[in-house]
This record gives sequence, structure tokens and C-alpha cells, in this order.
Amino acid sequence: MNRREFLRLMAFTALSTKITSGNSEASRFDLSVVRGSSPGLITRTAIDALGGMRRFISRGDIVVIKPNIAFDRLPEHAATTNPDVVREVVRMCFEAGARKVKVFDRTVNDPRRCYMQSGIYDAARNEGAHVEYIDERRFVEMQINGYALKRWLLYKDVFEADKFINIPIAKHHSLAGLTMSMKNLMGIMGGLRRSIHQRLDESLVDLAGFVKPTLTILDAVRILTANGPQGGDLRDVKVLNTVVAGIDMVAVDSFGATLFGMKGSDLGYVRIADRLGIGTMDLTKLNIKRIEI
Amino acid sequence: MKRIRITTQIIFLLIFIFLFLQTESKGKDTLGYPVKIFLDFDPLVFISTFLSSHHVEVMLYLSIILILITIFFGRVFCGWICPLGTINNLVGNLKSRPSIITRSDLRRFKYYLLIFLLISAILSLNVTGIFDPLSLLIRSFSISIYPAFNYALRTVFDALYSKNIPVVTDISESIYSVLKKGVLSFEQSFYYQSIFTGIIFLIIVGLNLYEKRFWCKYLCPLGALLGLFSGYSIINRSISEGCNECGACSRLCQGGALTDGTSSQWQRSECIYCFDCDDVCHEKAIKFGFKKAGYSSIDLTRRGVTTSILTAFIITPFFRVVPLRSKVFESRLIRPPGALDEKEFLKRCVRCGECMKVCITNGLQPAFLEAGIEGLWTPILIPRTGYCEFRCTLCGQVCPTGAIKRLDISEKTKTKIGVAMIDTGRCLPWCHETQCIVCEEVCPTPEKAIWFEEVTVIDRNRRKLLIKRPKVDIKLCIGCGICEAKCPVRGKPAIYVISTGESRSKENQILFS
Repeated sequence: MNRREFLRLMAFTALSTKITSGNSEASRFDLSVVRGSSPGLITRTAIDALGGMRRFISRGDIVVIKPNIAFDRLPEHAATTNPDVVREVVRMCFEAGARKVKVFDRTVNDPRRCYMQSGIYDAARNEGAHVEYIDERRFVEMQINGYALKRWLLYKDVFEADKFINIPIAKHHSLAGLTMSMKNLMGIMGGLRRSIHQRLDESLVDLAGFVKPTLTILDAVRILTANGPQGGDLRDVKVLNTVVAGIDMVAVDSFGATLFGMKGSDLGYVRIADRLGIGTMDLTKLNIKRIEI
Repeated sequence: MKRIRITTQIIFLLIFIFLFLQTESKGKDTLGYPVKIFLDFDPLVFISTFLSSHHVEVMLYLSIILILITIFFGRVFCGWICPLGTINNLVGNLKSRPSIITRSDLRRFKYYLLIFLLISAILSLNVTGIFDPLSLLIRSFSISIYPAFNYALRTVFDALYSKNIPVVTDISESIYSVLKKGVLSFEQSFYYQSIFTGIIFLIIVGLNLYEKRFWCKYLCPLGALLGLFSGYSIINRSISEGCNECGACSRLCQGGALTDGTSSQWQRSECIYCFDCDDVCHEKAIKFGFKKAGYSSIDLTRRGVTTSILTAFIITPFFRVVPLRSKVFESRLIRPPGALDEKEFLKRCVRCGECMKVCITNGLQPAFLEAGIEGLWTPILIPRTGYCEFRCTLCGQVCPTGAIKRLDISEKTKTKIGVAMIDTGRCLPWCHETQCIVCEEVCPTPEKAIWFEEVTVIDRNRRKLLIKRPKVDIKLCIGCGICEAKCPVRGKPAIYVISTGESRSKENQILFS
């Protein structure tokens, strides 16, 4: 090789390295954990740390956002997703060019009270989202073919959308141990969903393997440490001012468990999902970006 | 005058329907509209609840305004305002050629009914609500007519939706969403006795096809009460000499004030000032004007009045010799939170159905015999149809007589309406080696009135299972019924609420305190 060819080779190598390292910056982190006093700002920062909303939402997308609106509680009871977190996610979806953002949940208590008292109806609507009550006719039987769930009625809108963002809140739950992102998917189930408690861990894993949200944002601004999932006693609420974001629900829930002083492996559904390869439970194997504001 | 009357009738009917439709939660803590205002103005509700319970809810003092209006102007309420009157009027118009000959003897019946109701009330038996026209109307609409209307419309739209016809379904869905915002209820409601109540209402309204304003003339106790007050009314009807006694006016008299085919015998207590007669008179001989006349009495027979009074005295004891009035407590008689002690409750409840209409979970249902005959159509909670939403306080807000007290959220969440009991012979974890505890999950009390024991059991395949068995902490349980409502053991649930422990009753208790 002569000197000109060598220089050309060096230049080419230097340039190509620069290009590839520029791309991998976006997917370097598996989880982002952001702490700060403004729920909206830490949500935005958590998503930006994963590459920004544009990594997930494309122009013209129809997005379904599923917060936890299950209970007739006020935001300070930490039984439903923080409305400021929901608001920020809706806002960021529109900024990324989403055509339509739908927000809904199949509640446990009366839907009108749940939507209104949680503050989510107003927060999402004021940002331009379509906040809708569940329409029983839009449940469609889907073949899940899991270990416990063979087929189940699931809400059509989730599967007709382009993107699906899961926004749970972290809470204590007597049967599940903790309820976070995988359990939050129960809000798209129709039929007699209370019967899945008879095989809860396996059912949640089946559901998680079937419904793969585009993005999961775990609201830990306030967490419910006892008497969940309904709560009601402010003494059971712990303010952590934290938001955890990621694509892998197993990882998110595994990290979420640490907020309660537990491990991911303490939760049956996390263990099983990890074993089946749906996600990674072992936090040491994950790239976690922590930010303090 | 007639045209103004018709306009006023339509306006009040529309206001009534609007307020009825607003008697529904939008998710906030209060309703935002004075939905029970028609009942607040009802003097029959005012007087009967005062006579039986010696208490009057503040808003009911508005009915004095109606009494005063009637004293000065006669039964204009019946002719111009009453929504049931307007409905009777409208249906009566469907009859092609109304030729009514009002029976003057039958007109007395409503007074006898009124006397019976008021004397019974004095004897503490208050069944006025069953016959009061506003209670009857709201109750019939709430329990029967409106749910049936909803069902009919929804079936049509849902059928079009499921058929998924290209352009048609899109149009029907947009119409459907408009109707859902305005006229349809949030969810389809289901009520016991809806057929029974509906048939009674349709008969009452259907009687207008036989004779216009049949209810108003012969049956309505509120009309009778207002008739009693109208004795000194300053609006009087006079006939000039031009009258040729053709009888045209008496044939279409809506109130039944003219009975002998001529114009001379005008019974003021029956006139509802519809002004149909002066319009129809060819000779223009009829005039309504302000003239103070003497007192116009009502013609009742002594025998009729005595019978009414005696009936009240005889019937009341019969109603009272049921075990419910001794120390027997009916465990499924679960009253709304804020309800007074049973004896007081029955004195005040006018069975208007407002609480049943507003109950956001459809849990409040009309009683049949659970509270005795005396308790017919009073509200009871049936958790399987709907539990009592923990932070909701709407039933107390719409009760016109205070039979259900207004409670704020912190009072209400501490009010017990009963206690939950687990049937360990049906419960999945207790009896069938199956994990569940949905009841514990949904229990809304902040300290969880349902807890659980972890027990190792061996199933039939000799596998060891760690099962969580639910238990009710009867000190904390408020009896809201969400556990019963959500228990996956359908039909007869494995956890159910009984009325024992209810805050309102001193005697219906288990625990030592």
C-alpha cells in the first residue's frame, strides 16, 4: 500500500467510527431513572435520556396511552397515575408529530369518578388528547396462546393504534406483591378479568408477551407502600419524585421493586418473564442512566 | 291565554326533563344542578313529611310559595306547571274527539285519598309518595321508562354497529355519540320491578285516552290538596247572558270543573285554569277575571270523609304488626349511607326514586317487601347490582326529605351500612384451594377491612400450595358491598353484606362497644 492509500484508509476508518458511535448514543441505555421535583420535567428528561420521543413516535402516528385510572382516588393518594406525568407524555407525543393521542383505561370503580378525581381526564384533555371511556363493544377476542391465558377479550383500539405507551404507577398489591407495568396491562382486558387472579403471575406474563408496549414510563413520583392497590391513607404514600422509563417491562418492574426495598426476583411475574426471555430482570446486566434534577 | 298556558307547560316539562337527565354523575362530587327542585316546591311532600316525622327539610319551605300561589290564583300549578299534568294533557289530545262528561262523584275520590294519606301520616304511616304525582313521575321515569328508552335506542345502534355497514354505521355512530352526550344515560341501568312500575305508569297515562286528565280529575292527591287551598282564589269565571247552554265548554273542561253540561255550575276547586273553555265558546259568553268572590267549598260527602279517616286508622296497625317492626332485622335490608334509623326513614321517604336514579353504580333498587309493605319502593342497596362507591355522596344530595342525610366525604366514608361476611363453603381460597383475594384487592377502606392469612394447603394432586385466605375485620368494614359485587363466584357470592353493624341503628349491632 502506498502513502496515499494508507491516508485514505485512515480517513475512512475515522469517519465511519464517528458515524456509528453517533447512532449508538440513542440506544445506549436500557432504563432511565430521573429524580426531581417537577413530575413533568422528570418525565421529559427520562424519555429524552432514552433518545427522545421521536425515537418512539413518528409523524402521523395514532398513539394509545394507557395510564392507571383504575380507582376513584385523588392524585395524592397514589392509586392512579400522576396527571402531570400523563400530561407531559401527551404533550411530547404531539411534539413528535402524533396525529391523534387516545387515553383510556378500564377502571375498577365508576369510570366517571375515576377519570375526574384522578385529574387525568382534565390533564390529558387540555393537552388535546382524546380521553374516552371504555366502549364494551370494542373488546375483541384475541388468541394469546400463553401458559394461562389462551384467549381473552382485549381492547381493539390498542392494536389498531400505531404506538402504545404504558404509564403505570408503582404500588403495593397483596396478591401480586407490587403492581407496576406488567400488571397495568390488565386495563385493556375485557370480560371477567378478576378471574385471572387465580393464576395471576402466569397470566400477567402471557399478557406482557402478547402486548408489547412501545414504551413504558413508571410513575414513582408518589408510590403506595401499603394497602394497595386502592390505598386511601396518605400515611401509606411515599413521595419519591422519580420516574423510570424503558422499553423492557421486566426491567422496569425489576427496578421498580427496588424502590420498595424489594428485588425483581421477589415478584413471581418478573421471575417467570425473565425465565421465558420476555425481558431482563438482572439489573446488573442493564445500562441504567440515572439523572438528578 | 291558552297559548301562554301551553307555552308554559312545555317550558316546565322541558325543565323537568332536563333536570331529570342531569340527575346523573359526571364524576364530580356534586351534581351542579338543583335536580330535585320540583319536589322542593311540592306542598304534599312538605305537609305529609311534617305530619309524620315532625321535621321539614329546609328546601321544602319553597312549597309555601306554591301554596300562596294557589291561595291567590287557584290550581294554576295543575294547569300550567305540573309535568305529569302536561303529559296527561298531551296524551289526552291524542283522543280524536274528546267528549268528556266529568263525573262529579268520582271527583271526590282524590280528596278521600288525600284525607287517608294525611291522617295516616299523622299516625306516622307515610305512604304519600306512592300517590304524589311528582314522586310517581320521577320514580316511573327513573326505574322504568328511561331505562327502557335507553335499552331500545342502544339496541338499535349496537345492532347497526355490529353489522358494520359501510356508510350507515359511521352515520349511526356519530348520531349515537351525540345522543350519549345529551339524552342517553352513561350506562344502561337495570331495576327490579321495572315492569310493574312501568305498567302502572302507562295505565295512568293511558287512562287519558279514555278521558283526558283522568288522573288529575279523579286520582291526584296533590290536585286535591291544591283544590283545598283554592277556595279563596281571586281568578273567577263568569258567564254573561249570551250563554245558550250548548255545553261545549263543559265537554272539554280539563279539570272537570263543569259537570252538568251547562256553564252554570263551575266548581273552582276543580278548575285548573287551562282557558280552553273561553276559547271554544261561540257566544263569547265566558270570561275569566280578577274578582274576589266568596269562599267556594268542596262538595264531599260526610260518609266519604269518615270512611277515609277510618281507613287510615284501621290500615295503619295492620301495616305495623310485621316482625320487622319488632326486634327482627332483615339482613338484606341495606339502606343507603346517611339513611335515618328505619322507623324515621319510613316516615320521611317519599319513594321519589331520585336516589335510585342518581346512584352511580345502579346499586340502589326499589324494595318490594324487604322492608315490609310500608317500605314499598323505598331504596335498598343490592350489592350484586351495584356497590356503594366509597367516595360518592350523591344520594343524600338528592333526597328531598332528608330520609337520607347529606353527608360530606369524610363522614360518609366512616358511615357503616352493614358488614361483609365470608361464606367459607363457597370462597375459592377457603374451599377450593384456588388463589383469589379480589375482595381484599378492591376493599376501599384505607386500612383494608379485608385482610388475609397465608395457609399451606394440599390439593388433590398432593401438591403443596400457599394460599391467601381472606378475612373480614368487622370493626373496620363499612358494608359498601364492592367485595360482594366483584367476587368472582357468580350467582350467590362467597362474600356478601348483611345490614348488621349499620351506623344508623342502635340495636342492629354485633360488636361489643
